[in-house]
Formats: sequence, structure tokens, C-alpha cells
Amino acid sequence: MNATKGYHSGLVDLSKGLISREIFVNEEIYAQEQERVFARSWLFVGHESQIPNPGDFFSSRMGEESVILCRDRAGTVRVFLNSCRHRGMKVCRYDDGNTTVFTCPYHGWSYGTDGKLAGVPFFREAYHSELDRSKLGLVEVAQLCCYKGTVWANWDAGAPPFLEHLGEFVRFLDLILDGWDGREGQAELLGGVQKWIIPCNWKWPAENFSGDTYHNISHRSVDLVGAGPSGRSRRDYSELNVARKLHVAIPDRGHQTITYVLPKDHESQAAYQNSPEVAEYFRHCEEERRRRPGVNSRLMGAPGELFPNVALLPRQPRTLAVWHPVNAHQTEVWRFFFVDRDAPRVVKNFLRDYYIRYSGPAGMTEQDDMENWNYAHAASRGVIARRYPYTYEMGMGHAVEDYEFEGLRMPGRVVDLTKAQASEEPMRNLYRRWAQFMEAESWDDLMTWRRDAARREAAE
Amino acid sequence: MSGIVNVRDLKVGTRVMLGSGAEVEIVSNPGDGVWLFARYLTADSASGEEEMIFAQDVVEVRSGDQR
Repeated sequence: MNATKGYHSGLVDLSKGLISREIFVNEEIYAQEQERVFARSWLFVGHESQIPNPGDFFSSRMGEESVILCRDRAGTVRVFLNSCRHRGMKVCRYDDGNTTVFTCPYHGWSYGTDGKLAGVPFFREAYHSELDRSKLGLVEVAQLCCYKGTVWANWDAGAPPFLEHLGEFVRFLDLILDGWDGREGQAELLGGVQKWIIPCNWKWPAENFSGDTYHNISHRSVDLVGAGPSGRSRRDYSELNVARKLHVAIPDRGHQTITYVLPKDHESQAAYQNSPEVAEYFRHCEEERRRRPGVNSRLMGAPGELFPNVALLPRQPRTLAVWHPVNAHQTEVWRFFFVDRDAPRVVKNFLRDYYIRYSGPAGMTEQDDMENWNYAHAASRGVIARRYPYTYEMGMGHAVEDYEFEGLRMPGRVVDLTKAQASEEPMRNLYRRWAQFMEAESWDDLMTWRRDAARREAAE
Repeated sequence: MSGIVNVRDLKVGTRVMLGSGAEVEIVSNPGDGVWLFARYLTADSASGEEEMIFAQDVVEVRSGDQR
């Protein structure tokens, strides 16, 4: 394997479209990823609808770290490392709940919901009141952002703000978080979070959700059985007959997605035909959405990946997944399902049934995917297998910038899949950014857009 | 049976005696079995102050109900 440096020219060679299997199976590279990628990236922590009241908490994760997402007694959303400052024991061992204090079960140190160290056993007697409690609060994230209900956090104070990190990709995240009728930030979490462990590196699902349309043959059985909400295929998407199907990749951020752009004067298509009430709800929402001008009124969401480890699935089912690294060979998947908070109960129940039929450990489509990732990972671990890089050559040199369809401009680099069917532009985009993170010593090297903007300004 | 006080069972308003001999009244109980929030009743400099009381400091229930 190469040394730390040289991911571009060695392990990730995008000039040839070749990527070494080592980046998936090598334990040293995995350890470096924790420092270079996860300790300085924006990571998804949870949704505000999980902690509506003061004292509410949800135990979450950031990379390998256990963290507490909570709303303190004053109502402020906070994220702390779930580890006592005395000996490191978890101070919260519940999945979620409401509390006034987080008490370490080991020696009894106790922290308020604002993270301050409140109680130290034998503070007067054993510590002689000399311990500076003000310096020993729970470790809090360096940056936190609540965006349309979702909560994101970053350990690195030097990282760009969350919305700058998203860049123009924000519109694709909005497809999940805004209401189906186009109103801003109407999503709420449906039920609990599905969690399970899969035997593969976290980059397998991250790559798959970046926009792998090439593997659709894997889901043939789901299409045949008709798992979709109208009992046909796996989704209702007859709009695809008139839409442009695109890969969109934001090169300097590492985010990428599949998306569908509808024609200017498109008619909404029948969907959810197995339930008249649900069908009527979505028909009404579609009508409202078209009435609201906005960049997303003609976009149909599809799988995407927000760098490094959050997958978007804005439409059928509407979910976010987080690929938490456990070790080089294991990933803990957390899947969050969303609905419009104002949707009638019958709609939420219908969607719950469809969502878990499709996604999650029992979901038929996700099971197909997991088989591919798990077996591909296992078959890439041997010393012989590691000698042969994976190929990512599909569609190299065919992406365009400034793509426009009937007046709607797309950001980033775009591949029109309407005829091509598939490309590996999104995967190359993911690994380009991954390699940049693995090599960069500072944010100056990673925030190239700021440098470019400064140059443009100087030239003017 | 052990004479140890199960602090999880102590209701707000209960008076307890601490190892130091001070008497306090419970003002809230987070129910974690480790800490109580209490007000000092003893006629000394700490009287009226609210403080977190460690479970091991509680040696006797003076008044009030246990759950």
C-alpha cells in the first residue's frame, strides 16, 4: 500500500478511473479516515422532532463516537460526546428519553443538560473543593447547525459552516425536508430509527447511494413482485417517461445524486393507486407544489449522497440513512424515515408500510443492496484480490457543466442519463473528495471554492 | 435487611439526614439513584442553600413519604 500521501496518484487514480481495493479493506487506511474524514466533516446527528421538549435526548453517533443530542433546560439544541471526563464511561446508556442530569454510573459524576459538570461525589472531602468543575463539562461539538429540523455537527472549528459545506447541493436535501406541497421544512420523523450492522466498509453503501443506476438488475425481483405503492415495480414513477434523468455531482464538495427534471408544463401522474385517500393527498400536494415557484418545483428526487456518510432518498421512500463506521469491515446503518408533519394519519400509516417494505433490514430493496455490498467486501479482502483495483471508467469525460433543461439550470457536473442509462461520474466525485480529505493538512486545501472566489475577485 | 436508603424512592419534600449531620429537604429527584437536589435546613451557614446531594451522603430518612 502507498504511504499516507498519494491517494490521487496511487490508491485513487481518477485519471485512469481506477481505485485500489485497499481503501475499502485496509485497517490502517480506516484508522486514518477517522481522523482525516470523520473528525472534520459535517455529520448528521438527528432531527429536532426527536427532542421536542427541554430535557429530551437522543443517543446518536458521529463516526465511531457516541454522542448525545439533547435539548437543554433553556431549549437550546446541543450535541455532546457521550463520555465522562473522569474515566470515559458513557454518561447516557439509553436510546432516548428525558432527563435533568446525565449521571455517570461509574463514579457518579453528573452533568446538566447544558453539559456543565454539576455533581462530583466527595467534592469537598476528597477533592478539598480544589477541582475546577468549570473546565470539566461534557465535550461539546465545535459547530452545530439545525437546518429545517435536521441537526448536523462537526468536531472541527475550522470547517466551513454547514450551508457553505452543502453549497448548491442544498436543493436536493430540501427535497426531503420540505413538504410535498412545497412548503419549507415540513418533514417530521416517522416512528423510530432502524439500526443494524452490515459486514462491509462504510464506503460501499455511500458509493451505491451516490447514484449507482447500473445495479438495477439486482432489484429485478422487487420490481417483479411489485413492492411499489401502487403495486407495480418498486416506485410510482411514470413521470420518468417525460423527465430528464441526470447525475449531478458537486466537485468541490463531494456531494452527488440522481435527479429527474420535469418539463416546464408537466402534468402530475397518478400515484398511490392502492389507496384513494393517499392518492388524493399526493395529488393535492403536487398541485400546491406547482403553484409555488421555486427551484425544486420541477425536480424529482432520487438517491444521493451527502459527503461523507449520509444518503438521501427524497421520494418513495423518503428517508435519510447514515453509514456509521464500526471498523474497516463493519458498518452500522441508521435509517430515518420522514413524512409531512401535517399529513393525515391514514397517509402516514400507508407510507410506514411502504417504507419498511422497501428499506431497512427487512426492506426488500435494501436486502438486495446489502447482499451485493457484503459479498463484494468479503471477496476483496484476500491478498490476491487486493492486487486488482476496481474500475470506475464508465462515462469518463462525458460530464458537462452549466446543464440546462427548458430553463432550469443544474449545478455542478452533470451527466444526462436519459439515453446513457448509467455513469460512474458520481462515484468518481465521491472518491475525489475522499482523497482530498485524506491528503489535506488544512481547510485551505479543502475549501478550494473560497480560493477560486478570491482569485475571481482579484481579477475583477 | 440493609439500612441503605434507596434515594430513587424519595419524594420531593422528604427530609433526610446526611453523613455530616446536616438535615436537608429534597426539592427534586432526577431518579438516577445517584443524586438528589436538596435545600439545607440546618441552622448553620449552609442553611437555605440548594445543592446536589450524593446518594452515599444520605444516611437516614427523617420525614416524608417514600414511594
